[in-house]
Amino acid sequence: MKITKQDLKNISLLSKIKIDDKTSSTLIQDLESILTMVNKMEELETAEINPLTHPIESTQTLREDIEKKDIEREKFQELSKEKDSGFYLTPKVIE
Amino acid sequence: MSLNNWQPVIGLEVHVQLATKTKLFSSSPIAFGAEPNTQASEIDLGLPGVLPVLNKEAISQALKFGCAINAEISEKVIFARKNYFYPDLPKGYQISQLDDPIVGKGSIEIKLGEKSKIIGVTRAHLEEDAGKSIHDLYSNNSAIDLNRAGTCLLEIVSEPDLSSAEEAVEYLKKIHSIVTFLGISDGDMSQGSMRCDANVSVKKPDDQELGTRTELKNINSFKFVEKAIIFEIDRQIKKLEKGEEIIQETRLYDSKKNLTRSMRSKEEANDYRYFPEPDLIPIKISKDQINDVRKNLPELPEIMKERFMKSYELSDDNAELVTINKETASFFEEVLSYKVSPKNAVNWITGDLFALLNKNDTNISESKVNPKHISEIIQNIEDQKISGPSAKKLLEIVWSEGGEIQELIQKEGLEQISNDDEIERFLDEVISENQKQFEQLKSGKDRLQGFFVGQVMKKTSGSASPQVVNKLLKDKLSK
Amino acid sequence: MSELINLSLTDQVLGLGDKSFSSKEITGAYLNEIKKKESLNCFISVFEEESEEKALIADENIAKNKARPLEGIPIAHKDIFCIKDKKTTCGSKMLSNFISPYSSEVFSKLDTAGAITLGKTNMDEFAMGSSNETSFYGNVLNPINEKLSPGGSSGGSAAAVRANLCSFATATDTGGSIRQPASFCGVTGIKPTYGRVSRWGMIAFASSLDQAGIIAKNAKDAAIALKYMSGFDQKDSTSLNEEVKDLQKEVDADQEHVIGIPKGLIENIKNDQVRDSFKNAISILEKDGAKIKEINLPHIEYSLPAYYVIAPAECSANLARYDGIRFGHRSESVSSLEDLYVNSRTEGFGKEVKNRIFIGTFCLSAGYYDAFYNKALKIRNLIKSDFDEAFKKVSSIAMPTCSNSSFELGSISDPVEMYEQDIYTIPANLAGLPALSIPSGTADEMPIGLQLIGNYLEEGRILNLANKFQKLTDFHEFK
Repeated sequence: MKITKQDLKNISLLSKIKIDDKTSSTLIQDLESILTMVNKMEELETAEINPLTHPIESTQTLREDIEKKDIEREKFQELSKEKDSGFYLTPKVIE
Repeated sequence: MSLNNWQPVIGLEVHVQLATKTKLFSSSPIAFGAEPNTQASEIDLGLPGVLPVLNKEAISQALKFGCAINAEISEKVIFARKNYFYPDLPKGYQISQLDDPIVGKGSIEIKLGEKSKIIGVTRAHLEEDAGKSIHDLYSNNSAIDLNRAGTCLLEIVSEPDLSSAEEAVEYLKKIHSIVTFLGISDGDMSQGSMRCDANVSVKKPDDQELGTRTELKNINSFKFVEKAIIFEIDRQIKKLEKGEEIIQETRLYDSKKNLTRSMRSKEEANDYRYFPEPDLIPIKISKDQINDVRKNLPELPEIMKERFMKSYELSDDNAELVTINKETASFFEEVLSYKVSPKNAVNWITGDLFALLNKNDTNISESKVNPKHISEIIQNIEDQKISGPSAKKLLEIVWSEGGEIQELIQKEGLEQISNDDEIERFLDEVISENQKQFEQLKSGKDRLQGFFVGQVMKKTSGSASPQVVNKLLKDKLSK
Repeated sequence: MSELINLSLTDQVLGLGDKSFSSKEITGAYLNEIKKKESLNCFISVFEEESEEKALIADENIAKNKARPLEGIPIAHKDIFCIKDKKTTCGSKMLSNFISPYSSEVFSKLDTAGAITLGKTNMDEFAMGSSNETSFYGNVLNPINEKLSPGGSSGGSAAAVRANLCSFATATDTGGSIRQPASFCGVTGIKPTYGRVSRWGMIAFASSLDQAGIIAKNAKDAAIALKYMSGFDQKDSTSLNEEVKDLQKEVDADQEHVIGIPKGLIENIKNDQVRDSFKNAISILEKDGAKIKEINLPHIEYSLPAYYVIAPAECSANLARYDGIRFGHRSESVSSLEDLYVNSRTEGFGKEVKNRIFIGTFCLSAGYYDAFYNKALKIRNLIKSDFDEAFKKVSSIAMPTCSNSSFELGSISDPVEMYEQDIYTIPANLAGLPALSIPSGTADEMPIGLQLIGNYLEEGRILNLANKFQKLTDFHEFK
């Protein structure tokens, strides 16, 4: 399995993580060896098999539509470095 | 706008905010206009280690919609993560549905004058709403309010079956009527409870394939839906006729300038990498559950309309008009509860009251006029206590100031004069001021009769009963 | 006091109960030991004063005969479990300042049962790693030989139990993160059935695979600890609404065992010592009366590739919430929104975490979903079906925990070689089955583990078998 520079660029864009030129060649190596290992899956014929997302068949318990009002905004916002008047702040987004 | 033999092809994606008390995956309250981030719990903020738990009521409301449009209901409801980064999307993914949406194929019938048309609904799925980014509050920052994050939305996707802005508006009104009749949304477009994206393209009648489409985002009133689509159709036709190509893109409707413009900032890499939400197990919907919802479905506009035609002997058009939405229908039935004639009730509601509503762009539940007002106005006319023009005047007063009908009649002196002697005095005055015309009338110029009645009405500020004036005038002529 | 910390949980509960010693004494002894062995780097935080205070309260409760089941027992939590008002780092720079506003269900349950939290143990960053070398807080040393790795990702918990720094420790297992370090440190570790223990407040790596469990001195201790940690939780949609069995009773019960050994497994064990010790362990159990049967798990060799698609895919979405806006590391060099995202994430995550996010992003990206993600889910189904079939014939399945004993820190740099550490442990995660590791011998003078996999919710049965083995052997004793 080959990973191209374009693939890396795309992955970096989608994941919002920088890939610098220094590490990109070892990263390509790492990713290729992982994907080669992963490619072993191709040996199996699975056309008739259903995908399984959860190991256990069970019915999910749903939540009653009842409000919980104990939201501690101040406590939550202590976790953020940039906030004002109850808002979280980001650099200005120009639409 | 000239279509010049171009056919518009329109599909709508309508986001309806469901009328649940709490969010789709958390117990946080939902209230419009709360202080920023006071309705965002650790789950809505996407803090580490938190988990979603699905709101039972959201499932039940989505099922109601599905049953109401006779749609296929999925036996297994699966949620999926839609991945993208945006500051008002706290988890970096939106929990939505891709495969197995809760509501599958269904249809909605719209009225276009005499004709009706079936519009296909491709699917309707549950998803959580994003928060709000406010860009004009700070000079160097955008402000994020996550109160809305996680609110229950039902996204209703239509087939590209709509072929004009008018049809799109009718379809949207129909959805509005269905969701409000079902009580699963307040349908308030001004507060974002109903939002609409439109996919618009045009093609020539012979074209097998659809033209390149553009997506118009977040159009938040019936009026703007119409205007945005009309503008966009026109823009596309003009471009194509000049030999230019349509670019597939997202466009934003600018209601101030009445135009659509490209949103290039949203164009970057839309690879949403959907995959099944591993924090939620598929939800099974049983046949019994669906039958139960079906059985307990509230009366829908079509059925209500038929009932109105039958029980109140309304015409098809009138019945359609008063069942246009739940508020109007209940307003109508409340007026009837005061024992006034259905025909008069319909005429007053769909005539004068609708005219005022339209003129002021508001809806019936927000106006100062209540069913009691209308019923009392009608009763006063039926009892010949006020005249038609006085009634109209009354309605306008109640519209702008509210108040009690009986008091207003007194205060404004609108009580109809049906005392013959009093009216005769006014009539005599008119005759003596217009001797020449009276002679002509006597000699057979019948059309002058209206002139005399009119003059009397004028003298009495409209409070004389026209019937009485007519009767007295005839008496005088025959003398 | 050092003899107190050598006691098993069972004996500590007894001793505290009959007041042979106090919680103050035993807590003090552990705190001393933690200080003495600080260089092992087992802990990210230690709550010295609070533990001492809680010990006094525990002693009061015991004096008043109001002791709860784990009253006064000093334990440690993997730093993946949120504790209200305590720093929860998940071994990452990203969360190095994260003070949790809520507690994980695992912490709450054990806290309610009376256990005292001494501190939070070191771990691979976001539980991604098999050697504890990916932690932002530096690697943990194996207490048996400090040049070697304690295994990962729950290396801190395994080493802390082995070094007598706590009575038992909580841990998590996504692909082997409890069992492999338990094997490397010569302790007992159990990952229960997926859904048995709530994931609320446990920082997610791969939601459909993550499961909390216990690392303890022996099977009996693990059974007691697990009993008080298990149970249905409304806050976790994947939590199983099933009765919690009395594991404490079941671990000592008289049970018959039929042990399945996958066909071809023994011949394929490359390491002679691992193979011999495995064969030896099986023969001990067989002599004791267990029946041994060959079973077929034809797709098990595809577990590793399937896992390295599913786990990274889920992780790529689970870790999207770390954007620097609401919590977590926020880069100082930010001039645009894109900078905020990219710089915060690039600075906040370590290499291994990034690699997994990249792999997951790639496998879910347009054009690759079917070949990778969907294919992996299909293989997951095949593997689960293999186990379902096998458990019709046997009551547990035996395998080595790992194909080798501990390795030197820094000796493995190839990612795939590191991933192969989990080759025997991953299948139980894919199928959601309970599995444990107990010491069963040595290779190169370091402990190796025997893995026992049970059927759904049959934690008691494998713990019973493990307890039997530990009655017959002394591999689990710390020498």
